[in-house]
Amino acid sequence: MIPHRPIRLAFTLTALAIVGGTVVAASEEYFDRLGQALSASSLHGHVRARLSGTVDLEAYHLPTPAPAFIDTTREDLFNPRLTLFLDTQLGERVYLFSQARADQGFDPGQSAARFRFDEYALRITPWADRRGSFQLGKFATIVGNWVPRHGSWENPFISAPVPYEHATGVWDTETPRSLNQFLLWNHVRPGLSVFNTANEKKFRLPLVWGPAYATGAAVSGALGQFRYSAELKNAGIASRPASWTKAGKWWTYPAVAARLAYSPNPMWTFGVSAANATYLRPSAQPTLTAGRGRGDYRQRTFAADAGFAWHHWQLWAEVFQSRFEMPLLGDADTVSGYVEAKYKFTPQFFGAVRFNRQTFGTLLDGPRPPIHWGRNLWRIDVAPGYRLTPHVQLKLEYSLHHEASAAALAAERTQTLAAQLTARF
Amino acid sequence: MTHCRVPLLALLLAVLPTVLRAQTTIEGRVSLPKTTTAPVVNQRYEIVSKGGIVATNPPLAVVYLEGDFPKSPTPPVAQLIQKELAFVPALLPLRVGTKVEFPNLDDQYHNIFSYSPPKRFDLGRYRPDERPIPSQVFDVPGLVTLRCDIHEHMRGIVLVLATPHFVMTDVAGNFRLTGLPPGRYTLKAWLDSKTTREQAVELTAAGNMRVDFPASP
Repeated sequence: MIPHRPIRLAFTLTALAIVGGTVVAASEEYFDRLGQALSASSLHGHVRARLSGTVDLEAYHLPTPAPAFIDTTREDLFNPRLTLFLDTQLGERVYLFSQARADQGFDPGQSAARFRFDEYALRITPWADRRGSFQLGKFATIVGNWVPRHGSWENPFISAPVPYEHATGVWDTETPRSLNQFLLWNHVRPGLSVFNTANEKKFRLPLVWGPAYATGAAVSGALGQFRYSAELKNAGIASRPASWTKAGKWWTYPAVAARLAYSPNPMWTFGVSAANATYLRPSAQPTLTAGRGRGDYRQRTFAADAGFAWHHWQLWAEVFQSRFEMPLLGDADTVSGYVEAKYKFTPQFFGAVRFNRQTFGTLLDGPRPPIHWGRNLWRIDVAPGYRLTPHVQLKLEYSLHHEASAAALAAERTQTLAAQLTARF
Repeated sequence: MTHCRVPLLALLLAVLPTVLRAQTTIEGRVSLPKTTTAPVVNQRYEIVSKGGIVATNPPLAVVYLEGDFPKSPTPPVAQLIQKELAFVPALLPLRVGTKVEFPNLDDQYHNIFSYSPPKRFDLGRYRPDERPIPSQVFDVPGLVTLRCDIHEHMRGIVLVLATPHFVMTDVAGNFRLTGLPPGRYTLKAWLDSKTTREQAVELTAAGNMRVDFPASP
């Protein structure tokens, strides 16, 4: 047993470095040969398949309670993860892909290791000019511009931006019976029961739940400099992983989303997205007033995004405006966004910085002044990274999180440290 | 008549050293490995898929004459193109000191980089119409593996050689190396990073040789 936290963190980082060094010792050529061995083709190359993946070793030094959806009461957490991708191309028109993970949960936690399929989809592209393609399966949302870099190798950070991981006090399992209860759930007022404090994380919804791998269909294509995409899924963008594979009455109120992007050249991309879905699970129906259904309470989201890349710079920005329609309380509005920049200082050393912000609208509080339903926050993430080889990279991340004061609660600042070693094959 | 002989003699004297110095040719065949599996393009988060069939690059070998040769007075320039999400050519042998330009003929970004010890660089993202065309000088002999930070399936190889005498085989493994100076050398056939075959050769002033590199037993 290692007694002190700094020593434990140093021990973990040293272990990561040793493992990293060992992996580096296996030359880049080994990984290239492995990649070749995990590829197969037949019928004169018209059917091709490739198995690839990443191995992540993550270490966290966390505040209490742990940020975002990290589910632990510990201050230090080690999280290994194996991610496997299977990409299959059938001729020029048919593409299948799947992603499976073995880890301690979609977000790091204390639970036992588990294996699950996060994505599996079939895409058909009937036209050679890319005017349209159709996709069916369980796959990441088309909303926003973060999804293409949400994998551990592509993401310059270890965490997700605030809109994709900050848990609001909106629950999907039940609706609040009063404003006071809703404010308790949002940690705007103190006094949340011990039971809820221990269990609430699994009920709380963010604005967008990470890549939102829900089940459904999508159409997308390119018309000149414009790209369009639209999806119809069983669960909305705020839904949590437990909802993404559900069928049956989940399809009573399908979720819809669309994105239109304009890319005048490879340097710039601008996009707008919209999404509309009920955010309540079927189990929330008994908590609704008589005559009302889940479909009456929706999350309506509008988003704008921009991306820029030139030489060794990459910049992204997104802003979301989302409205949760709450029974008895009215509309709970929130605005969340971030600006993120990455720069390669040398061929192997890069750094990234991100400023996140989320603000909450007000709800009527009887005769008293309207009250913000959540605590406004900002977060700064700084992440240096180093590519040891074309297949191995090490990232560190420091996050400073600030939540504004609310009612009897003082403002809070918390810090999170994380390290992630990734081997890609 | 005399007026004609003088220029003719001068011409002969001018070309004679060249004729005596470099007229040897080596022909032969290299046994090439089997065609490798073509890559699958990762398009999971590409909103717009484009085809998906990437040209298979058949295995080729580079045959070169190893020895001490004078340096080139003017550094040569070569091009390695990015087209349809592939490096063209996929294998580029060149003489040490060569400047290589990397034009992007696709309508999207590429980000070429190499972590190979002889040449470590990262060109970053640049527009197809950007000038000057990004380039690198390869000034250390060795094998340089090129990759793209955006398209993980892309692979290119630059073989930097300390000799001006090299040639690539055709897909059947046939090669013809011309203009070689007389002397004793080592003829090498590079097949991949782990496989280089070699034979000692003695070249005379005017004669053709045949050298085959059969597959290893």
